[in-house]
Amino acid sequence: MASQRDVKQRVESVRNIQKITSAMEMVAAARLRRAELRIAALRPYAGALRRMTRQAAEAAGNVPNFPILDERKEVKTVGILLVTGDRGLAGAFNSQIIRAGLRSATEHEEAGRKVRWYATGRRGVSSLTFRGKELSGAFSGFTDRPAYGDARTVAERLMADFIDGKVDEVQIFYNGYVSALAQVVRAETLLPLQRATVLEEGEAEEVEAEGQESRALVEYEPDPEIILQRLIPDYVEISIFRALLESTASEHGARMTAMRNASENAADVIEELTLAMNRARQAEITQEIMEVVAGSEALV
Amino acid sequence: MAKTLFQVEILTPEGKVFDDQVEMISTRTSVGSIGVLANHTPMLAMLDACELRLHKGDGDVLRFAQAEGYLQVGGNKAMLLIEEAVAADDLDAADLEVRLSTRRTELESLEDGSEAANVAARDIKRLEAFLSVASAD
Repeated sequence: MASQRDVKQRVESVRNIQKITSAMEMVAAARLRRAELRIAALRPYAGALRRMTRQAAEAAGNVPNFPILDERKEVKTVGILLVTGDRGLAGAFNSQIIRAGLRSATEHEEAGRKVRWYATGRRGVSSLTFRGKELSGAFSGFTDRPAYGDARTVAERLMADFIDGKVDEVQIFYNGYVSALAQVVRAETLLPLQRATVLEEGEAEEVEAEGQESRALVEYEPDPEIILQRLIPDYVEISIFRALLESTASEHGARMTAMRNASENAADVIEELTLAMNRARQAEITQEIMEVVAGSEALV
Repeated sequence: MAKTLFQVEILTPEGKVFDDQVEMISTRTSVGSIGVLANHTPMLAMLDACELRLHKGDGDVLRFAQAEGYLQVGGNKAMLLIEEAVAADDLDAADLEVRLSTRRTELESLEDGSEAANVAARDIKRLEAFLSVASAD
């Protein structure tokens, strides 16, 4: 049986761990709130961009053929983008993305398609490298606070590879943010961009958007076709940016939950160990009393 | 002479940067420099990376470094959607220079005419624009 001092030291060390985990929980909670605000901040921009695209598309007559809308007849290479975090200690947050990505890669390979890997976040990058996968794009160092520029970097790389024919389709895997307690793995097709995503959605908001203004009177500088040419890639950037933001919020949510569980577990362990320690102390006292009694009996 | 004011809103993916009355917006579209005053005709324009100036009246001018974006004018309101808009005072010239020079070296190794090279060229243009705003102080 462990001596009293050993148990005492273990209690001490568990208590220190508990202090760290509960501090991490609080930090994650604060960051989660900030991440939630940033998701909300993106919404008006995305909405305004969508309205603008629709306006330009109507003026242009239809959406012309852009390379990133180009649906390939035969998909030979699939690009998989895994959105993970830079740090661990967040429960299943990183591993579930990696697992989902690998599973889908196996399916593609069985169907005879090649896979090109892309990853954001140090965890995903190192995990894929460890498994011997060659990364065509590794982006990390920003998952705590992704900036739009980071999303643009990722989007530009993917679009360039798509247009240059290195990939025929790109899928993204990320942790969708549902609530602080729930995150779900989402898999979406990023490229080719679906024509429908650009033009459908929110017919109702159109009325309040531009009022009754006659479209014929709107000046375009330059022509709407050329404006569209830039508006459409912006969709890909925004989709990636949203995925990065949601992933960040999910990471903090997952870490918060993981750390709360760790703190609770530490409390249980402390309780158990304290009990064991008291029992050991009591056993020692009882032993001593027995010895004293036995000694005094021998004297009589 | 006091000019008429009109509402201007600047939205970026990071949130709202500006929402107030101004006298004039001065910026650059892909066609050329433009100044927008109150009661401008409805317009949709594509903006280049450049310096964005908001004239608030009485010689009071707000300066921003603007990345690519769009300008929508209608109903005596202007909305700017910009990928990145940074107040001139918040720019870090040294950091921009480092990023600019790394991109320049990268561009040299890229194949001419590939999409990757176009992207790098665009980044360089944006960084140059930001840098010129930062060093204009």
